[in-house]
Amino acid sequence: MNVIETVGLTKNFGTFVANDHIDFSVKEGEIKAIVGENGAGKTTLMSMLYGLLQPTSGKIFIRGQQIHFRSPLDAIHLGLGMVHQHFKLSPSLTIYENIVLGTEINAKIKPFGINISLPIIDIHKEKERIEALINEYGMHLDPDAKVMDISIGAKQQVEILKMLYRDVDILILDEPTAVLTPQEVDTLAISLKQLKERKKTIIISTHKLQEVMDMSDSVTVIRAGRVVGNVATADTNERHLAQMMVGRDVVLDVHNTDNNTSDEVIYEAQDISTINIFGKQVLNNVSFKLHKGEILGVAGVEGNGQSELVHVLTGLMTVTHGKVLLKGNDITNDWPDVIRKYGIAIIPEDRFAEGLCRDMSIEDNCVSGYLFDKDFSTNGILRKASIRSFCDRLIAAYDIRVADQNGNVSQLSGGNAQKIIIAREVERNPVVLIAAQPTRGVDVGSIEFIHNKLLELRSKNTAILLISSDLNEILSLSDRVIVMFRGAVIGEVLKYEMSRELIGLLMAGISTKEAIAR
Amino acid sequence: MTMFSSYHIAWNRRLKSIFFNSILPVLAAFFLGAIIILFVGENPISTYYQMLSLSLFHLDGILRTLHVAAPLILTGLAIAITFKANIFNMGVEGQALLGGFFAGIVGAQARNISPTLNVAFCLFVGIASGMAFAMIPAILKAFFHVNEMVVTLMLNYAASESLTFLSEGVFRDNAAGYVATPVIRKSAMFLKLGRGDLTAFFFISFSIFILMYFIMKYTKLGYEIIAIGKNSQFAEAIGARVHRKIIIIMLLSGGISGLAGAGWMQSERFRYTLNFSGSPGLGWDGMLISLLGAHDPIGVVIAALFYSALKVGMSKIELFTEVPREIVSVIQGLMILFLSVRYITYDARLRDIFRRESI
Repeated sequence: MNVIETVGLTKNFGTFVANDHIDFSVKEGEIKAIVGENGAGKTTLMSMLYGLLQPTSGKIFIRGQQIHFRSPLDAIHLGLGMVHQHFKLSPSLTIYENIVLGTEINAKIKPFGINISLPIIDIHKEKERIEALINEYGMHLDPDAKVMDISIGAKQQVEILKMLYRDVDILILDEPTAVLTPQEVDTLAISLKQLKERKKTIIISTHKLQEVMDMSDSVTVIRAGRVVGNVATADTNERHLAQMMVGRDVVLDVHNTDNNTSDEVIYEAQDISTINIFGKQVLNNVSFKLHKGEILGVAGVEGNGQSELVHVLTGLMTVTHGKVLLKGNDITNDWPDVIRKYGIAIIPEDRFAEGLCRDMSIEDNCVSGYLFDKDFSTNGILRKASIRSFCDRLIAAYDIRVADQNGNVSQLSGGNAQKIIIAREVERNPVVLIAAQPTRGVDVGSIEFIHNKLLELRSKNTAILLISSDLNEILSLSDRVIVMFRGAVIGEVLKYEMSRELIGLLMAGISTKEAIAR
Repeated sequence: MTMFSSYHIAWNRRLKSIFFNSILPVLAAFFLGAIIILFVGENPISTYYQMLSLSLFHLDGILRTLHVAAPLILTGLAIAITFKANIFNMGVEGQALLGGFFAGIVGAQARNISPTLNVAFCLFVGIASGMAFAMIPAILKAFFHVNEMVVTLMLNYAASESLTFLSEGVFRDNAAGYVATPVIRKSAMFLKLGRGDLTAFFFISFSIFILMYFIMKYTKLGYEIIAIGKNSQFAEAIGARVHRKIIIIMLLSGGISGLAGAGWMQSERFRYTLNFSGSPGLGWDGMLISLLGAHDPIGVVIAALFYSALKVGMSKIELFTEVPREIVSVIQGLMILFLSVRYITYDARLRDIFRRESI
C-alpha cells in the first residue's frame, strides 16, 4: 500500500519551476531515497510533503486520502515528521527536555479522587518516558546530557526521537548525512534499519550514491525538478544512478593534474586562534602556508572551525592570537576592504549573507567590495557608466543568465548568483583567492565552470585556499589538503597520498599517525 | 521587447506600491476625517475645498506652504536617511529643538557682523548642536550595540525638558510676558523674499534635498547606506565598516535636524518658546513625512509639500468653518495609523495569515 503518493506535483518560484509534475509514491515500511544533484528540487519536494511549502498545482495523497497541508502542524497530525538538514534543538536544554519541548507532561494530583493537572512539569515522568523511548530504539543516549555537549550524530538521533515521541510513522530526513562523519553515517544506517523493522516509513534525500545503495529499498531520481527514474535499489548500481542524476555519461570531475606549484610562500597563517561571541574557543593554533600557484584544500566535517577560519581570514572576525602574513607582511585583523585592496579575493561561504545583496541590482553587486577601484569611483562619487560596462562585460564573459539586467539579484538562480561572485572576484586576477564552499547548492553545469575557473586562476599563479565540505571537490582540485577537527588542523595530506579513506579518518578526529597505522 | 516588458512590470509594481503605500492611506485618513467633520455638522467637501484654497489657490498661500515645508523637508530627510540604513533615529525632534534653541541664543547675542555671516553662523551652531546630540546614540549604537531607537526616543524628552528649564531660567527674556528666550537680532533673521512668507531658508532646504539625492544615488556613501539597510552582514563583508558608517549616518541626520530647527528659528519663530516646534513637532511631522515618502528623497519632498499644504490650510480653517483645528491632529494620527499598515502586509504576509486561519 502506498503511504504517500503524489500526482503531478508542481512548485514554481516565480518563473522558475523547482518541481515539475512529480509523480512518485512511497510504500509502507520502506526506506525511500530521493536522489538528485544540488538544486535538483529534492528539498522543495520534501518541504511540500511536510507542509512547509504549498504546491502550485498537483495532488498529495496520504494513505489514499487527498490532503492539503497548511503548515507542518497538519503534517504532524497525520503522522509525518521531518528532520531538517540544520537541527532545530535548544543547546542549553537536556536531551529529554528537547524531546518533550512543546508537549510537556504536567504533574497531577488526586485529592478526593478528582484529577487536577498542576502547572508544574513532571520531570520524573518525562525522563522515564524518554528513557524508555531511547531503549526501545536501542540508541546510546543519556537523557540528562545537555544538547550542546553531544556530537552531531547524537543530535540527529535526538531529532529523530523528537519525531518518534510525537507518534510519527513517516519520517522525512533532508540530507541526513551532510554533516556526519563517515562513521556516524554507519550508525545512522543502523538506526534507520531499526526504525524500518518497527514499520516506520522513511524518506531520505541525498546526493551521495554510496549511502543510497547502503540504506534504501527504492530510489527516485530527480533531475532539474523532474522525476527521471524510479527503481528498486536492488536492481541498480551507483554508476547507473549517477547517469540518471546527471543526465549523461558521468564525466569524472575536472581534475587538477599538472604541477604548477612553486616554493614561494605567498600567504601564511601562523598559530591563529580565536573565540566566538559566546567565548568558546573555535580556532586553536591553526597554521598553514600557501604557495604561489597552489590550491590548498581545507577539508573537515562542517562546524569544525572552517567558517570561523574564513571569517578570520576575510576580516569579519578578529584573532585572539597568531598572525596572518601576505608575502611576509602582517595583515592580521585588517578590515575586509583593506584585505581586498591587497589583492586577496574572497568567495564567502554564505552567498546571500556575505557575498551578494539580494535586494540590490545586479550592477551594484558586480562591484561590491571593489568600489575603491578608480574605475568604479573617484573621490567617493560612483562612475555609473563605467560600472555598467564592467557589469555587461562580466555577464557576457561568465555567461551569467539574467532576465533583467536592472533587476535585483534575487531573480537569479543559485548557480547564476554564485557566478556573479566568481566573476567579480576572479576577474581581477587576485594574488590570493579564499574560496569557501564555492559550488554549494549550484547546478552541475555551473560547478564544472567554477572548477575550471579556479584551475585557470591557479595556472596564472594565484594561490587558492579552497574550503569545502564536499570531499570530491577537495580531492579533485587540491594540490595539498589540510583537515580541520574541533578548530585545529589535525593533519595534512599531500597529493600522492590523498585518499577518501585517509581524509575521512582525519575528519573523524583520528590524527595522521593513527590513521596511517590503520 | 523583453527589456521593455521588464521595465513595464517594474513600473507597474512601483506605481502600485506608491498607490497602496502612500496614496491609499492618505485617502483613507481623509475619508475618516470627513466622517468626523460630518459629525461636527459641517460639510466635509467644502471644508476640504476651503482648506486647499487657503494653502494652494492663491500666491500668499503657496508661499506660506513652501515656507512651512522648508524645515519639514529637512526633518523628513533626516529620518529617511537613517531608515534607509535600517537605523532608526527617532530623536529628530530633540535634535531640531536643540538646533533651534542654540541658534536662537547665539543669534540673540552676536552684534556688529554682516547679516549673511550672522545667519550662516547661527545655522552652523544649529547644525553643530544637532550633531553633538546625535553623537550620543551614535556612539552607543556603534560601539556598545545599544538599541538606538530607545535611546533617541527617550533623549527627546531629556532635550525638551532641559530646554524648558534653560528658557525658564538662565536664558529667559524677562521683558516677555511668557516663557521665552530673547528675540534674535535682525542680522540673524532670514529676510522675507517679496511680500509672502517665503525666505531663503526654503532654498537652503531644497539644496540639501538635492545634495541628499545625489549622495544616495551617486556616491559610495549612498551605496553603503543602502547596503547596510538591505543586509548589514553583506555590507560588513564588502568592507563598509558598518560601525563607522552608523556614526556618519547619525551625524548627518542630526546635523540636518539641527539645521531644520535653526532655520525655523531664524525664519519663523525668532525666539525659543515652549511651543517652538509646534504640534506635534517638527521631528514628529518629519517622521510622518518620511513614512509617506517611502524614505525616498524625492518622495520626502513631495510629502513635505503636501503635508505643509495640509497644515497651512487647517491652521486657518477655524476662521471660516465650525470645524475645530484639532481635526488636523486627528487626520494626522489616522494617516500614521494607515501608513504603518503596510509594514504588516509586507512582513507578515497578511494574505497568508488569513489563509492559514481559514483551515
